[in-house]
Amino acid sequence: MKGFMHNTWKHRAHFLMCMPAFLVLLLFSYIPMTGLVMAFKKFDYGLGIWNSSWNGIDNFKFVLASGDTFWRMTKNTLLYYVVFTIVGTGASIALAIALDNFIKKKLGKTFQTIMIAPVFISFAAVQFIVYAFFNGSDGIVNSMIELFGGTPVRWYTHASSWPAILTIVKIWNSVGYGSVLYMSVLAGIDTGLYEAAQIDGANKRQQILHITLPALVPMITTMLLLGVGGIMHSDTGLFYQVTRNSGILYSTTQVIDSYVLNAVITGANPGFTAATTFYQSIVGLLLILGANGLVRKLAPDNALF
Amino acid sequence: MSSVAKTVQPVAKKKKFRTGQLILGILLGIYTLFCLLPVVLVFIVAFSSNDSITTKGFSYFPSSFALEGFEYVFRYGKQLLVSYGVTITVTVVGTFVGLLFMSMYAYSISRRDFRIRKFFAIFMIFPMLFSGGQMASYVIFTQMYHLKDSIWLLILPLSVTTMNVIILRTYVATSVPEELMDSARIDGAGEYRTFFQIVLPLMKPALAAVGFMMATAYWNDWQNALLYIESESKTPLQLLLVRIQKSIEFLLNSKDISGSALAAMQGNIPQYSCIMATVIMVVGPILVVYPFFQKYFIKGLTVGSVKG
Repeated sequence: MKGFMHNTWKHRAHFLMCMPAFLVLLLFSYIPMTGLVMAFKKFDYGLGIWNSSWNGIDNFKFVLASGDTFWRMTKNTLLYYVVFTIVGTGASIALAIALDNFIKKKLGKTFQTIMIAPVFISFAAVQFIVYAFFNGSDGIVNSMIELFGGTPVRWYTHASSWPAILTIVKIWNSVGYGSVLYMSVLAGIDTGLYEAAQIDGANKRQQILHITLPALVPMITTMLLLGVGGIMHSDTGLFYQVTRNSGILYSTTQVIDSYVLNAVITGANPGFTAATTFYQSIVGLLLILGANGLVRKLAPDNALF
Repeated sequence: MSSVAKTVQPVAKKKKFRTGQLILGILLGIYTLFCLLPVVLVFIVAFSSNDSITTKGFSYFPSSFALEGFEYVFRYGKQLLVSYGVTITVTVVGTFVGLLFMSMYAYSISRRDFRIRKFFAIFMIFPMLFSGGQMASYVIFTQMYHLKDSIWLLILPLSVTTMNVIILRTYVATSVPEELMDSARIDGAGEYRTFFQIVLPLMKPALAAVGFMMATAYWNDWQNALLYIESESKTPLQLLLVRIQKSIEFLLNSKDISGSALAAMQGNIPQYSCIMATVIMVVGPILVVYPFFQKYFIKGLTVGSVKG
């Protein structure tokens, strides 16, 4: 202990240099964690966290009893997570392999620059673009449908189309960016491996299957694992902005994050919301601990911690 | 397997190779267009005449072009100018403060003989696994810290993030040689001087990468603004966009609308050419700057993915 104190004193400069970021994390990440106790209180915005009275697990009972909203947003959150992860990872890898195999490197670079760009457009702006395509009376998509003799659809009241629309927007937004990481791995593969495979008569498809994909596995595991921590979270902008937070679409578009954001802004159902965020944080933590434990058993090198 | 290859005709192979590349090029081109066309539409609509939009709807081929959209934007320019000021301040201050805080932290916890570093490392990683969530943060920030409508809430919460600290720490651990720091110390440089004059300059590529990512996050942040900002004088660009959209809805439902949006629109429902012109003003700067930073942030992403 004495040695430890001595060491810390010797490194007081480093200790001090840690302080600013330490304080920011303390104030803006750690102290808000204590706010989760309001899940067990009859929370009232007027009284604040500490003065609201305890009510045990009433909030959770209420959440479970109210059924619909809660299950709907849990289901949406998880389903979108799964779809986005599968489609996003698959498309990013495919794009990375395609760009890596494209001989015209300069053209490929230009393509890549354009493909990454959408990730830098905020969803507050994206929603206007989506509106230009999908609005019922004068959107591009309906004009196209009419051009080919179909009947236009009022997309913004048509909940069942939104899983597809949001998936397309998500791909547009993030696949180019997502492929960057995988490309950096591909650039690191020893070209000698491909040459040897070619001499052995492996065609392109076989090379991809037996050399490229196995080389990507560690990166894929790391990315999936990092993603698991966010399983209970969603890209709020996508679900809140792009859908214009439209109640008619909630059945297929409301996720936990967009629900909570809306509830905080309107001040509605504080008890319900507090219980929901508590559940969101705890389940998220358990999932990432579980996933990391699993990876540590199967492939210790790829575990996060 | 290995004996199949020997009879392949070089000519045939080359031809097959070419068609393969052609198909690949076309597919990549199509995906590139898929990414590009929505952005192109923003520009076309911004330069379309209002007549064209009313009669023809949104179109890549408007019946006539006009500068009405931008004229409108410049007429309500005052709020836009204020919002630019807010966004630029938040982005610049946030990025510099964040980079400074995080690189000091990253450097310190990568010093091997600094024993308490283990605690600091865990302290930094835990928020990635667990968070208080939006509601608890909202209540704590507004009721405990009394920071409602404070520009600090746009700056500080985003200034230190686990992922960025990891990227910087990994960079220090892999690219800044330990001997260099040791020799600086032997030459009598203090800890602070070693950091600011020797380590920090060597971290430039990582700082550029992380800095660009942070700047983008600040520039594009609408959520904190929507939750916390009320005054028009503190309204950043993204919140202005959100308010314009909200007020269209409100106007269509003929209810009250927020002052800044009303001022911005001079009491009219804004035409889409004007909205798209605003969108260009909001996202334009990032899209112009980003290609220059592309190589840095690609490097940064790559460094960050190697766990330290």
